[in-house]
Amino acid sequence: MDFTLDRESQEALDELRKWGREQVRPVGLEADREARPIPVGHAFFDRCLERGDGRTHWKPPGSPPPERRPSTLTRLLLAEEFAYWDRGVMNATPGPGLPEMSVVGSGTEEQKERYLGPFVKPDKPRWACFAMTEPGAGSDAAAIQTRAEKDGDGWILNGAKCFIGAASRSDWILVQATLDASKGRGAQRAFFVEQGTEGLGPFKIEKKMGLKAYESSSFSLDNVRVPAENLLGGEARYERKAGFKAAMSTFNAGRPVIAANAVGMGRAALDETIRFARENDLVGDARVRDRIEAIARKVRMARLVCLRAGQLAEEKRPNIVEASMSKALAAQVAQEAASQGLELLGAVGARGDHLIEKLYRDAKAMDIVEGTGQIQRMIIARNLVDLPR
Amino acid sequence: MNLAPDEDLELIVETARRFGEDALLPHIRSAESARDIDAATRASFAEIGLAELEWPEEVGGAGLGCVARVLVNEELGAADAGAALALDRFGPSLYPVLEMGGDVARFVETSGRALLASDLDGALSIGSDRINGSVPWVPASEADVVVVLAGDQAAVLRNGFTIEGVRGAGMRAAGAGRLRIEDAKPDELISSAAGAGRSRARARLYVASLLLGVMRAACDFSREYARERQAFGRPIAHHQALAFLIADMQMSLDGCRLMVREAAWRVDAGLPAEGAAASALAECIEASRLIGPNGVQILGGHGFMADYPVEKHMREARALGLWLGGFDAAIEESGRLLCASDSPLDIGVGGVL
Repeated sequence: MDFTLDRESQEALDELRKWGREQVRPVGLEADREARPIPVGHAFFDRCLERGDGRTHWKPPGSPPPERRPSTLTRLLLAEEFAYWDRGVMNATPGPGLPEMSVVGSGTEEQKERYLGPFVKPDKPRWACFAMTEPGAGSDAAAIQTRAEKDGDGWILNGAKCFIGAASRSDWILVQATLDASKGRGAQRAFFVEQGTEGLGPFKIEKKMGLKAYESSSFSLDNVRVPAENLLGGEARYERKAGFKAAMSTFNAGRPVIAANAVGMGRAALDETIRFARENDLVGDARVRDRIEAIARKVRMARLVCLRAGQLAEEKRPNIVEASMSKALAAQVAQEAASQGLELLGAVGARGDHLIEKLYRDAKAMDIVEGTGQIQRMIIARNLVDLPR
Repeated sequence: MNLAPDEDLELIVETARRFGEDALLPHIRSAESARDIDAATRASFAEIGLAELEWPEEVGGAGLGCVARVLVNEELGAADAGAALALDRFGPSLYPVLEMGGDVARFVETSGRALLASDLDGALSIGSDRINGSVPWVPASEADVVVVLAGDQAAVLRNGFTIEGVRGAGMRAAGAGRLRIEDAKPDELISSAAGAGRSRARARLYVASLLLGVMRAACDFSREYARERQAFGRPIAHHQALAFLIADMQMSLDGCRLMVREAAWRVDAGLPAEGAAASALAECIEASRLIGPNGVQILGGHGFMADYPVEKHMREARALGLWLGGFDAAIEESGRLLCASDSPLDIGVGGVL
């Protein structure tokens, strides 16, 4: 496995570091202080667009050939660096976000044009989101209850979704629903629901412990009617789906990204801890050095485990165990790094205005999103000892 | 950074694995009680050429580096870490001679068996011309040469020391003794701050990679047992308490392995490696405190008995982690380096998985 960075990647990393220091960290601290998501009209979002963020990777037919995508290694290091400055702000950044890959991978040509088209050269900050989680179904995604019923040539959706990123500000929401809740994942379908559709909402913007910079909303779907063409991929796609799932189940590209975010947060906690120790003349104390060493050691390990999982995915080699390990380990490490950092800060940490205290709250989410630590361990155990489902 | 061994190295690692499984594994208990390795095993080890792995080519060695060492040690350590040490005539005592400008040719030609005694826990000091001190336990019953590494200095001793046999808690196949050095006059006295740092890094990775092997063996054995052994109508591995424990043990082992290899890659690439190596050893020792006892736990009562190897893994791992200053000396060095650095974990990845 080659972990060497090319010049282009190093430059992208340097550029992101500058963006992080000058823009991301301050706007993240502001959102945390104000205890609200970065408002839609905030100047930060305009600067995001100026920087070229908020766009889709999808290229309309007839566009020049896409540039070479950065390697997995580079993308993971960028994910680490962004989260180092603020993981919440990373999620708040405009763009087609989470559902983009589903639309590119499974959408019809017409859907790509209609839903990703506005993100090609966005005229203003635009968002989209994916709605899976429900009040009664988190890790157990097969248990979602939002119903989709055929109604003439369209569909009627009924149900409730929660903790959905950027939902109230999204142009459209890709809603996961089921034709028959007793039939598990196979009976699930995804539908585009456009903002303003009758029966969508109201949106409740959740008050969160951390990661306050991005909006997490809960909403209901009350007899929401969408036309047939809003079914992701159209009916034909679902006949091929079994094969698609089988192909996807040997490697995972998402978990190492979350792991990389967590590594970045752990690294931020480490740097702040060292800074605090130096400024307060504490590095002469062996107990202080031991704490710093423990944080650094775990972050170093988490980074290596994360890069390995990503590298395997890059090489199209099975990485299910490694991806789950990276996610489980890095989330734990980030949380522990912030917690140990607070230990060193003592009562200063309890004041509630130190970055490490914010990281302590922010990092907890990393062990919950994209499969909790417990779910990751179940996946690992399925592979190691054939733990039955 | 490229953490995958190339084809030649792959072959060497495979040789080490086969030797471990065929020549060492069947005799772990007899080697432990004899506190030595039999002549036939020594002869067959000499034949496969692993003994000269890190010797420079000029003195008839393979001229390989730290990555090769940690890969080979993991394989041998998975079979019998004590035997691995007994079979390596010099073990980590070679490093100060290699890295600090010692007379390598004289050392390899005349040293018989050599032992590294470090001041990593402050037990020894190198004075003006005479050396005094003692080490309560070394994994050896005899040695022709003792290399003392203390601070920026190293001393090669050919007399003035005694090794008195002790029972030993683990690693007994390598022997077990108390080392006493009295008014020893060094045969060679060498000094180099950078070389001493690299020697410590390589010595720590030597120990860490043996530990990796022991931990791997404990993980593998207990996991396979847990898949077979039934309780309450299913394999014990299918009870979530054990399934999660097994997942955590494996996760810990994998993390350690990556740290050891990355640090070894740094040594070979000539990059600063002291911190990475010290961290890697500390992590291995910490992981071994999880994996060793839990390997026994998974086997329950059987685990406690000498009929199974897991109790040996548990003792062996703990003893290894106490050698050459162990955990405390490792975190002391790593912690000092981290606190002195402006960008302790700055992104600048390089190296081999």
